[in-house]
Amino acid sequence: MVLPLLLVVVAVCVVLAAWAVVFVVQDRAVVLRQLWVAAGIEALVVVQMIVLGVLGATGTAPSDPVLLWGYLVTTLFILPAAAVWAFAERTRWSSVVLAVAAVTVAFLEWRAWQIWNA
Amino acid sequence: MSEHAPDGRRGTGPSAPGEPGPRRTGDGFGRVLVAVYGIFALAASARAGVQLVRDWHEAPLAYGLSALAAVVYVVATVALARGGPGRVVARRVAWVAVGVELVGVLAVGALSLVDPEAFPRATVWSDFGSGYGYVPLVLPFVGLWWLWRTRAAPDSSLGPAPDPAPDPEEAA
Repeated sequence: MVLPLLLVVVAVCVVLAAWAVVFVVQDRAVVLRQLWVAAGIEALVVVQMIVLGVLGATGTAPSDPVLLWGYLVTTLFILPAAAVWAFAERTRWSSVVLAVAAVTVAFLEWRAWQIWNA
Repeated sequence: MSEHAPDGRRGTGPSAPGEPGPRRTGDGFGRVLVAVYGIFALAASARAGVQLVRDWHEAPLAYGLSALAAVVYVVATVALARGGPGRVVARRVAWVAVGVELVGVLAVGALSLVDPEAFPRATVWSDFGSGYGYVPLVLPFVGLWWLWRTRAAPDSSLGPAPDPAPDPEEAA
């Protein structure tokens, strides 16, 4: 698994989570610009999946590909769900959901890293 | 580039003031709860799916419990998202699902410590959910608290009887 790419994804997740927490404190709902950042994270995860797919096809396959791909595919669903919440719940609680979602994606990335290196 | 928040700062209350019946369980803070339950429903389902399909024979009890946990999380997620005025069934289902979840995490957590042989493979509820930052242990208490918070006013006959208060020591 490509470490720099992973670190970028985790870093952006942390930034998005921190931004969302600021909004929670300010009693504000999620704004569109935060969802653009979330979309960026999604794009990075897709790039990551392509890179891992190429790596897997050229020999350096993980020991447990089913588990790894399960985590990566699951990761893709988290932020879109938070985005749906952001439109449905126009209160500070959508910011809490976005913060939780961003932390979850970072956690899933870390788990994927563990599985890749297992 | 000023901060053109399209939303401004609105109230956070999940229901209109003075509303007599039980409040919606899927609004406001409830949405966070539904989101976290949804994440666990997804995580537990994916985990149970992989375990059941691939290596069921290694640990039937642990993997069976993983599947049960997944079902409980899915049911709780849907019921919490739908609970509200006139949604007596959804609310009741939510009480039962979250109650089963509490019993499950406490029982499996205790058993996995007392008799690790019975759980050679980890489940969501093993060691009180230590593999998931103890969120599985805290979640049912928060769920029960939220259902109790959003229950009907005492004069309404719609709400279920409040469950006995969960033991705070268990959550510590």
